[in-house]
Amino acid sequence: MSAIALAASAQIARAEAPVTEPAAKPAAPDLAEIQAALAADQAAADPQATRSPSPGAGVQSLNPDIAVIADFALAAFSDPDHHQTGGHDPAENGFNLQALELSLGSAVDPYFRFDAGLVFGEEGVELEEAYATTLDLGSRLQARAGQFLTRFGRLNSTHLHAWNFVDQPFALGRVFGGDGNRGLGLELSWLTPLPWYVELVASATKVGEDATARSFAGEDGVEVEGPDDLLYVAALKQFFPLSNDWSLAFGVSGALGPNGNQDGDRAEVYGMDAYLKYRPLKETGRTELTLQMEWLLRRRKLEERRSLDAGGYGELVVRFARRYALGARYELGTPSYDEHGHVVDDPLDPEWSSARTRVSAQASFLPSEFSRLRLQGSRDSGFSKPVWAAFLAAEFAIGAHGAHRF
Amino acid sequence: MIRMIFSLLLCAACFWAAPRAEAKLSVVATTPDLAALASAVGGERVSVKALSSPAQDPHWVDAKPSLALELSHAELLLAVGAELELGWLPTLQLGSRNGRVQLGARGFLDCSTLVDLLERPTTRVDRSQGDIHPSGNPHYLLDPRAAERVAVGIGKRLAELDPEGSSLYLERTKAFVTSLRDARARFQKSLEKLKGRPIVAYHRSLAYLAEWTGLVVVDHIESKPGVPPDPRHVAELIALARQKGARTVVQEAFHPTRTSQLVAEKLAGKLLRIPGATNFQGGQSYVAFIEQVLKQLTEGV
Repeated sequence: MSAIALAASAQIARAEAPVTEPAAKPAAPDLAEIQAALAADQAAADPQATRSPSPGAGVQSLNPDIAVIADFALAAFSDPDHHQTGGHDPAENGFNLQALELSLGSAVDPYFRFDAGLVFGEEGVELEEAYATTLDLGSRLQARAGQFLTRFGRLNSTHLHAWNFVDQPFALGRVFGGDGNRGLGLELSWLTPLPWYVELVASATKVGEDATARSFAGEDGVEVEGPDDLLYVAALKQFFPLSNDWSLAFGVSGALGPNGNQDGDRAEVYGMDAYLKYRPLKETGRTELTLQMEWLLRRRKLEERRSLDAGGYGELVVRFARRYALGARYELGTPSYDEHGHVVDDPLDPEWSSARTRVSAQASFLPSEFSRLRLQGSRDSGFSKPVWAAFLAAEFAIGAHGAHRF
Repeated sequence: MIRMIFSLLLCAACFWAAPRAEAKLSVVATTPDLAALASAVGGERVSVKALSSPAQDPHWVDAKPSLALELSHAELLLAVGAELELGWLPTLQLGSRNGRVQLGARGFLDCSTLVDLLERPTTRVDRSQGDIHPSGNPHYLLDPRAAERVAVGIGKRLAELDPEGSSLYLERTKAFVTSLRDARARFQKSLEKLKGRPIVAYHRSLAYLAEWTGLVVVDHIESKPGVPPDPRHVAELIALARQKGARTVVQEAFHPTRTSQLVAEKLAGKLLRIPGATNFQGGQSYVAFIEQVLKQLTEGV
């Protein structure tokens, strides 16, 4: 609050002519002197000065930046009873619309920016995200408010078009739901003043439905009676620029919320994520190698027993030319075990009574930054019999150029 | 455990904050060229960091979180602008949590507003034309006359942000402009030699250099900006270059060389790789950088 007030007063001071800084202000006459001194011979020596003055960058408008990103896939499964968990995974043999995302974003005023993402699918429209982010909260803090994907781990807070593989890792779909963990709420993050990058994130969100807070929502969702009925996510994110060419991002996250049974029990999810990137600066072209992994551990009470399951993925992607990349991914999900190591029935995933693995490989062709074609094949161990799948996916983006996250 | 982590953080915060109390004005520049200009104008009163190196194509810098950290305590952010840093700078600005360097704040200077941009589209453009820059060509720092304007603009902004140093900034700006003009006077002979000479470029990044030196860019290896060369275009390019008498391919060191090498061979000329930017980290000044580029051109073209 005080930060906003301060910023506002600074803004007012700025608007009031050149009376800006309380300190000595010989600035104005000196600047005039610089300008006068330079203007005279500039005109003579500089065709830049004779060129017509800048009419401003193109057509100015106060409309938000708009982007539309479409993901289509042609899919073939060896068994129609596959176990794809992602809400935007190709799910049927034949043609699939994975998502048509409309994203809008702009600064609201000097204090906030606002971003919204609407996803159109074959069955309708969903509001994926709509949140405001503070621009100048002060004390290296930043807040987000609205509906947003929580920053648990690495992949959860990102959208389909930022993923290397066509489908969502099943560990995330199993624990957080097909659309990833998101909800209405509030998030505060702090960039610590340590000499290396350490960011602390904490959020509280409404427990949504099966697709967005699977381990927490239960069948009927959660009615909020007290703070215990919200979902809390905390994360610590670190980044190490190992050298000019190598970088490492490492994070740990935790999510704590009700377990959906309305019996006061809690579900806890712990995660670690690592991202190692090699991009040689000295080399022309765009050689890149990335290794990304996330592992999740979930603790809940099932059948009146404490139970535990683990899952995650590791993926390696090599971009060996500007337009070509190859990738491989390994995924693992264990069944739920009790303290004695016995498998416990999980009402959310009754079939998940043995370990499941999935191995995928993909080849990408990227004509430009705004389009991409991918061919992906996978073998899912499934539960009773293996499922083979092949996807041919195409992605197209138009509109505002989004800024890439690392 | 938590208490220990907290006290550790607090400790670190104190260490971090202490030397900053009497610190210099912290300037962060997106490219080494801008960093070199800021350093020339700001002198001892400023500390300058560049977010990218001359080996990097400024269109394609990774938004590493460590760069956001760099930006978190910046008092002035200098950007080339004209959509050059669109793919990475907004992420860093937002991630820095630093209100002083956001778009519209006084600590953010889009240097493209200080110069008159070339190749500003006059008709409707879209991405079928490649990686287009709707605001105009952002590679203006290869023209020392544009750099002069940018240096003056930086000097003015520094004087606004740090009024106590304004006389120093004025002195240094004048000194820099003088040295740049002296250098340009020295370059006169080289420029006469280069005037009208045809060359082939890789990307549309030599427009300002060509305008300044009088070199004529016959065509580009990329058929459209940002689009990798295709065989048909390259064949046409070779024919055109022969017709116009161009023998040298000129490009920044960060662009791929395979096709350029081939074109240079077909033209019985050579590939000239100029540095992508001032070697600011190595202590090079902007004037020395321009001198180096010009020397390479006069020897190679």
